[in-house]
Amino acid sequence: MILNENQKMIRQMARDFAASKLAPIAAEIDRSGEFPETTVKEMGALGFLGLAVPEAYGGVDSDITSYALVVEEISRVCGSHGLTVAAHNSLGCWPIAHLGSDAQKQAWLPGAATGEHLLSFGLTEAGAGSDAGGTRTTAVRDGDQWVLNGTKMWITNSHYAGAIVITAKTDLEAEGSRGISAFVVPTDTPGFTVEKKEDKLGMRASDTAPLTLEDVRLPADALLGEEGGGFKYFMMTLDGGRISIAAVALGLAVGAFDTARVYAQERHQFGRPIASFQAIEFMLADMATQIEAARQLTYEACRLKDVGESFGHMAAMAKLHASETAMFVTDRAIQILGGYGYTTEYPAERFYRDAKLCTIGEGTSEIQRMVIGRHVLTD
Amino acid sequence: MKIAVLAKQVPDSETRINLPAPAPEIDDSGFTRVLNPYDAYAVEEAVKIKEAGGEVEITAITIGPETVKETVKKDCLAVGCDKAVIVTDPALDGADEAAVASVLAAVLQKESYDLILCGLKAIDDDSGQVGILVAEKLGLPHVSVVTKLTLGDGSLEAEREIEGGKEIVNASLPALVTCQKGLNEPRLPSLPNIMKAGAKPMETVTCADLGLEPPANLVQVKTYSPPPARGECRLVEADEPAAAAKELARLLNEEAKVI
Repeated sequence: MILNENQKMIRQMARDFAASKLAPIAAEIDRSGEFPETTVKEMGALGFLGLAVPEAYGGVDSDITSYALVVEEISRVCGSHGLTVAAHNSLGCWPIAHLGSDAQKQAWLPGAATGEHLLSFGLTEAGAGSDAGGTRTTAVRDGDQWVLNGTKMWITNSHYAGAIVITAKTDLEAEGSRGISAFVVPTDTPGFTVEKKEDKLGMRASDTAPLTLEDVRLPADALLGEEGGGFKYFMMTLDGGRISIAAVALGLAVGAFDTARVYAQERHQFGRPIASFQAIEFMLADMATQIEAARQLTYEACRLKDVGESFGHMAAMAKLHASETAMFVTDRAIQILGGYGYTTEYPAERFYRDAKLCTIGEGTSEIQRMVIGRHVLTD
Repeated sequence: MKIAVLAKQVPDSETRINLPAPAPEIDDSGFTRVLNPYDAYAVEEAVKIKEAGGEVEITAITIGPETVKETVKKDCLAVGCDKAVIVTDPALDGADEAAVASVLAAVLQKESYDLILCGLKAIDDDSGQVGILVAEKLGLPHVSVVTKLTLGDGSLEAEREIEGGKEIVNASLPALVTCQKGLNEPRLPSLPNIMKAGAKPMETVTCADLGLEPPANLVQVKTYSPPPARGECRLVEADEPAAAAKELARLLNEEAKVI
């Protein structure tokens, strides 16, 4: 992959940040499940939280390749931080930056870019996620206000969000994915509650929680984009989100691979480093090859998006392959480390648990195959 | 106020130096290069002075081949220096401290700087001479090994590390200060500043552009030798710590003959 000079500098800076600030705390926040507010604020100061925010609103407005490099480098050391940055930029900031009114951008983007508050995206419900037609949250007109009722699940960064983009049915008669709209909901609106944080297998320090909306009254201008545009908007948002998860998965795979490679060269059995046995050497070769394929897919999706070409199918392929690669590589890393890999003394098991999220979040691997399948059958 | 920062690109401290036998030169082709960490304190201090207010312009000055540009851009301009002057001249390959100082002094004389900051030494050759030689050549006061710097009106107050304590000195500006660990905590460049760094002026000059004959070295490196191979590590095994200590003491006395 050929990077330009700025991209190389950004990657190096993100790598330096991860090594100096995240490596010392990654294992501890995984154990405690505590959201790392201090380092998230530091990421704001460095510009990591303004990657998807236009310069006019205080952001960096980087190319997608640079954004993915940052997410990869952070995830390589700490998946929870990687996911926080990815969700904030691609799910929180992106829809407001690209679909929002000037007033909505003014209200939410400058604070998001500096890390004063995060932004978040509320799509999934108990009965709706990949199947948008199951959306039960409603938004009903009452004079010049909207009244929202419903619940949402698995909403990333919600306790620290200033506002959350919420999808709700505005045309209650419309069927399937039609009649859904999106709203920018300030989290301090009466009737809006972020419930208890979920206790998770991995990505444990990332903030995930259900939301409850009870007669949440919003002014008319809280609508994001056009009425009824919700389905289209979140499909667009998720296309970008898939690049993010691909970059997280890639980072986790690289992190686990680094651990295994170093260990295999240091660990001696039968008088030689275990890396000198083909059983181990071939595992490392397979891991490196899968990682490289995931990297090429991920950055090809970035490149397509950067030049303004259709990238949705490539993002789905990148997400699918990178996520499955992360599972494969983290599993092999534990195998290479043997008993040590199974303990929390080494980060391999953390990468393994974190990686599992990538085959599920923002569309499971199965949903990615549906997206890819439709693309190859209609193309 | 005009501040100059003297910056040097050095091999990353984790670079493996492959030198199997004594040789007059080190093969540096595979080196990863970074800004000398002591010079990073100088850059950070200059940027902090600029952030404190007033009209401050920071110029980073370095000597080196084309490849130093990347380090200058990433570790000087993206961190907050306003512009850079790079002396690139094949005649300066392998220049010694006195030659380097003459060239830097010639660059510095082109402008009138109020403050010149540099690292107390570079981590590659560890000589610690260049900053002080530059100040001598320019006839400026210099303060070395500084861990705290405060600027006054036309003067500076600096804390220096000395054996078992600290020394506080005053000097009139313009002056040269060499920076020691503890002076500050160098920041990472922020993303917006990385994006802007490419637009900052970076001037490349040769000795001829400076009206300078490439200065001759006063010192010649004869040879570099690898350190002697380390002996095997021996683990003293015993059931009890006390027995292990006793055996260790015996080995140190009888075999290693160091106690």
